[in-house]
Amino acid sequence: MLLAPDTHPIDRPPLKSTLSMPYTLTPGRAAGVFLAEAKNRRLVGARCVSSGLVSVPAQDFCPATGGSEMELVEAPETGTITGFTQTAAGIIATLRIDGADFDCVHRILEASFDELEIGARVEAVWAEETTQSILAVVGFRLAPGAPVGEVRPLQHAAEPLPMVPYHLDLHYEHAFGPFYGRMFDEIGTNRRLIGVRSTAIDGALLPPREVDDISYTKTGTWMTVPDTGTVRAMSVIHLEFKGQKEKPPYIYAEIQLDGAVTRLIHSVKGIDMSRASELVKPGTRVRAVWSDARTGALSDISHFEPVPDGDEAASL
Amino acid sequence: MARHVGIVGIGQTHHSRRRTDVSQAGLVREAVDRALADAKLTIEEIDSVVVATGPVLFGAVNMPEKWVVDAIGARLKPVVRITSGGGTGLAGALAGYYQIAGGQHERVLVVAYDKLSEGALQYSISTLYDPFWGREFAVGIMGFSAAYWRARMDVLGHTEEAAAMVSVKNHKNALKNPYAHVKKEVTVEDVMKSRPLAWPIKLLDVPPISDGAAAIVLSSEKLAAHSTDRPAWIRGMGYFCEADNAAARSMLVSEPLALAARRVYRSAGITNPRRQFDVVEVQEPYTCFELSYYESLGLCAPGEAAELIASGATEIDGDIPVNPSGGCMGANPIGAAALVRLIEAAAQVMGKAGDHQVPNAKLALAQAGGGWANLRGVAVVSA
Repeated sequence: MLLAPDTHPIDRPPLKSTLSMPYTLTPGRAAGVFLAEAKNRRLVGARCVSSGLVSVPAQDFCPATGGSEMELVEAPETGTITGFTQTAAGIIATLRIDGADFDCVHRILEASFDELEIGARVEAVWAEETTQSILAVVGFRLAPGAPVGEVRPLQHAAEPLPMVPYHLDLHYEHAFGPFYGRMFDEIGTNRRLIGVRSTAIDGALLPPREVDDISYTKTGTWMTVPDTGTVRAMSVIHLEFKGQKEKPPYIYAEIQLDGAVTRLIHSVKGIDMSRASELVKPGTRVRAVWSDARTGALSDISHFEPVPDGDEAASL
Repeated sequence: MARHVGIVGIGQTHHSRRRTDVSQAGLVREAVDRALADAKLTIEEIDSVVVATGPVLFGAVNMPEKWVVDAIGARLKPVVRITSGGGTGLAGALAGYYQIAGGQHERVLVVAYDKLSEGALQYSISTLYDPFWGREFAVGIMGFSAAYWRARMDVLGHTEEAAAMVSVKNHKNALKNPYAHVKKEVTVEDVMKSRPLAWPIKLLDVPPISDGAAAIVLSSEKLAAHSTDRPAWIRGMGYFCEADNAAARSMLVSEPLALAARRVYRSAGITNPRRQFDVVEVQEPYTCFELSYYESLGLCAPGEAAELIASGATEIDGDIPVNPSGGCMGANPIGAAALVRLIEAAAQVMGKAGDHQVPNAKLALAQAGGGWANLRGVAVVSA
């Protein structure tokens, strides 16, 4: 019998994981026109008909009152700094475009921090290449004495941009903790599956955990289980989707390892996939097929495969 | 003693596969305008707002409530955001209910939405799996849901044909629902022959992917009459969980749903759900779940769901109509879906369900759930 993990902490580097998520975002009418007009080098704002307040860039709803009847306006390219800060990527400022009632945020270009002050006049700097994004305006530069501009009705507004592609790459480092650390260390080092003994039911909890989910008492006794088990639930995956790790078709299986009282999620392969639903069902006996990798992850098991009839004794 | 709470205004968008004319916030505004108009109120008369949405990964906007409150004119009001996967809408309604039942506020606006066309759906949902333990095999919750349906087939007789009948019924009902966007009659044979996605789940067992929003106005008894002489009174509401990967999880009968139902039925005086409820709205992310819910909600005994659907009892003209709105088969904006179920149940007892009204409905049950089937809730509303 093994000892509790707190007496043998396993120090593993965190699990690195990246989510790479594609999006197509809908800006809506006001922001859609703002983005569409960026290529015409026009700054589009919106005036709330009921409150009279003007937002630049344009908004579908009045930020102060929630008013929904908005008329689009063309805003001047000049404004005033209302706040600023130095970042590693340059100077970022809050700006009040002339005629607007709300601030917006943008870069300050061609100026040092010491030159800036609240109330300084600025003007927009357009990008050389037109883009349909807020970065069509690269930023704002100091324009001392620039006359105060006025908003005016937007003539011949472009159709709103219906969709904007977007992407998020999210990088994570997940800590194993002593229980997961120990289990995955055993998988990588010894090709052995271990959990902790449940304090409520006779059997092992995998993944191991500090507190039993049913009795709410501390676990702490390690228990090795064999790499054979019984399929409790299965489905045959044909759907392909962004972010998928396995190539369909494959069998998604929830497997109760012998001696465990919880399920392990894995794939079942090594069968004629055209007959997958006949060959693998709840109750099918399976065993792990280990890969050559010893990374200390569930993927060190390549897949599970059905145990042929009469072969069970040999595998145990 | 908790105060009585009524639903006095309901609103939802005309759901669709993709709305390119409105932003996420604009979508919410449409539903809010409809709910406020229905309650004969303006946003000024609302004390507090609950914003309910699905996972942030669906729409790439963190803390969307800050955007939504501006768009609905709710700045400077109390606001909380609730998120609980597919059950989000009901969890949000529950948060609003507590605020009034506990005496904190008189009127609460609950809004729920998702604009699923904007992100990578299955990829996003798959992140509910433990990154160390199983995520690499996740197919959203579809692979998992199909796997346990397969297990229920053997033990409870939830056959592919029985689930196909759920699809046929809900698709047919959705034809009469003006807010549904899938308007297509299907046959059992169509469902059985449709493309397997995660067998036994096939294409026609699966609801659409939708953009949509929903909103309700909850009111104290004191102020309800201002909005309507026929509120949908909340007789009980609960949302329960079970452990993520505990030894006791069989996934055959939904334990958290049975628990929630037991608790809520007690407070609502329900002893025979099949006989007492006039209409039921369940949130079926796949057809197989509707069968399972029949049993967990006590509409029939475990093992009798296939017989119940085959008997026609859950048809709109049956003795226990389930999803006369078409359920999720007509539209499935996930974050809003559970609130839509509550709205449809409320509409029935308020007598404003239109073409899919169940005659003289007085007592209705709504069910919702999230997570990988470990979060389940119910609400009972009455005329």
